Amino acid sequence: MAPYTNIPLSPAELSYLYTSLSQTPPIRPDGRAPTQFRPLVAETDILPSANGSARICFADGTEAIVGVKAEVEQSRVSGAATGQVESEGVLGLGTGGVGDVDMDEEDGDEEATRAGKGEEGWVEVAIEIPGMRDDDALPVFLSAMLTEALLADGELKDRLWINRRFHWRLYIDILLLSQPLSYPLPLLSLTTHLALLSTRIPALISEKDEDPLFNDDWEASRFLYPQSKTASGGHRKPPVTLLMLSVSENVIADPSREELAVADAVVAISVAPTTGLNAESAYKTVALRTVDPPSRLTGAGVPTALNTTAGGTSLSAAEALALREKDQGQTVWRPPRGGVKRAMIAKMIKMVTEKGGVGQEVLEGLAGVET
Amino acid sequence: MAISVLPPAPAPVPTAHKTQDGDSPVDEDDMDIDSLPTGHQRTAQNILTPGQLVTQDPQWMRGHGTFNADDSDAVNIRSTLAGTLQKTNKLLSIIPLRARYTPEIGDLVIGRIVEVQSRRWKVDVAAPLLANLLLSSINLPGGILRKRTSVDELNIRSYFSEGELLVAEVQQLFQDGSASLHTRSLKYGKLRNGYFLSVSGMGGGSGVVRAKRQIFTMQTRRGGEVDCILGVNGYIWLAKHLDEKKEDVGINKLEEAAAADTTMYSSQNDEIAAETRAEIARISGCIRALVENGVKVEEGTVKMAYEASLEIDELEGEVSYLGGERGRSVVEMVLSGRG
Repeated sequence: MAPYTNIPLSPAELSYLYTSLSQTPPIRPDGRAPTQFRPLVAETDILPSANGSARICFADGTEAIVGVKAEVEQSRVSGAATGQVESEGVLGLGTGGVGDVDMDEEDGDEEATRAGKGEEGWVEVAIEIPGMRDDDALPVFLSAMLTEALLADGELKDRLWINRRFHWRLYIDILLLSQPLSYPLPLLSLTTHLALLSTRIPALISEKDEDPLFNDDWEASRFLYPQSKTASGGHRKPPVTLLMLSVSENVIADPSREELAVADAVVAISVAPTTGLNAESAYKTVALRTVDPPSRLTGAGVPTALNTTAGGTSLSAAEALALREKDQGQTVWRPPRGGVKRAMIAKMIKMVTEKGGVGQEVLEGLAGVET
Repeated sequence: MAISVLPPAPAPVPTAHKTQDGDSPVDEDDMDIDSLPTGHQRTAQNILTPGQLVTQDPQWMRGHGTFNADDSDAVNIRSTLAGTLQKTNKLLSIIPLRARYTPEIGDLVIGRIVEVQSRRWKVDVAAPLLANLLLSSINLPGGILRKRTSVDELNIRSYFSEGELLVAEVQQLFQDGSASLHTRSLKYGKLRNGYFLSVSGMGGGSGVVRAKRQIFTMQTRRGGEVDCILGVNGYIWLAKHLDEKKEDVGINKLEEAAAADTTMYSSQNDEIAAETRAEIARISGCIRALVENGVKVEEGTVKMAYEASLEIDELEGEVSYLGGERGRSVVEMVLSGRG
């Protein structure tokens, strides 16, 4: 994924941070526990004219607003279906009365009729980051990652299906209000999560393949993510994408800017509650991406033995090479080379998805946000 | 609970704005300059906005952050900044709420090398313009007072390269407000063995302020001594204290001292114990808490905040993260201790 470059830190700082984070237990520069998050400020339903919206401020001063807009759109009908639709001619008016509005009990049926009918193109994510163009690498990759996670369970797009001829198109507009001080993926993802949780779409009162007609009573509108319990007893929720990073043998959640700068590997893990009945755990990974750690772009430090201005003797070329290759990160900072072990990735995923893990904590924390 | 989600807090209420005559409300534009105490205290609560009329009374002189609007002889002192009014005898100036650091000669600053040129470095000191550090104004190893040579020019990156941090003093100011730095003292030079954090500097509000001592050593409970360098520009360096048998060397003996000190331009860290690292993290948490709660950062407040954080740990159990509520209670203890 897109590399994230920031102001370079000095080799001495990088070395200090790396060694601190690779202690057991790791000593984070702000004193947090490895999986502790910084406190964040969140509110939902802040934009009156959007279907759903949310705002989150992180403790490092970054802030994002997400607005969700739903629009009815005519589906492109293909093949045999086309003729049938056209023959209907002038479309009937909605006949449903107010009595039809309460659809919560019919959830099960509806899910069944909709299953597999959604299309991925119905969800559109647009990210705006100050100082960056729309087609810059960072916003494009971020929106790809968020879209991927949202569509991964396949339920969201099915819920956008209205009837054979019409569907909802969901526009998710993500606006980062501050400069991207650190990799903004978790912030944007958490804000999107809250916005989607608060998103409501008007209740349908027309039937079958008629032109859709909606109840204009906003009180009767339905949540995009139904609040009824699923078969497994949990709630349907949009996924959240969390950054986990590894330094030596340690795994760290909610990394700050300087922690990212020394990471061996950075992984974006999207986690959502499971909806199936016989799932092993309550949370599952729906998407996984590695992010290029910025540490690879940093410059290496010069050991004192090689530094002529610091009293180092002039070594021969072979000795200098040996010193540079042998003491990988031992005395001075070296940008990490190579990949990360599979076991480490598995450990990170487990920390996010396990019971009482990071994913559960975040989702439960966000569930407590009041509008 | 690994995460705490808070509802948005309303903007903080400005501290007790007293109206002088009981119930008569103060007019927005009427600053009531006469009753304002003279000096540097931030007592004025009225915030002036750019272009706002400060006074038309001809007895006042205009200082920094103000301008005279009209070409005519009439006095119309207006603000050019968003900030509070400061009165020094008959001089009115506006202290901005937030601004970048403006260098002044003699300031101790921490800077980060941004660019290496043929005979100088460009240093980021949080000022509007990058500062200059000339090759001729650093200590050259192996004899401090020797002339710089072309070899030094070729090796310029072995002294300081991009991204490296240094502590220096502002030597000279140029016409455009940019600064020229020097590190010609053994207490200045490259920084290692520690952690950097940046808060707001002299621009106003909370942050580092000019004080008697910008460099001091703190005795921590478990981690030995920690050096704190509070740059006037708001950059802060916390590092392990190195035991050096360095007496105050006179200018004539600088040569010997510099020759002996071979680690001057080293970027290799020494061994730092985990306890020291934890204490450095705690001090940085204290400084962040001070800044977040609008208390100025100086030797006294940092030391008090550190003591307060230890005290709270004893009362409420050990938590090393000083964010949110914990940070607030630390700052409250600092403020109450100061009286």
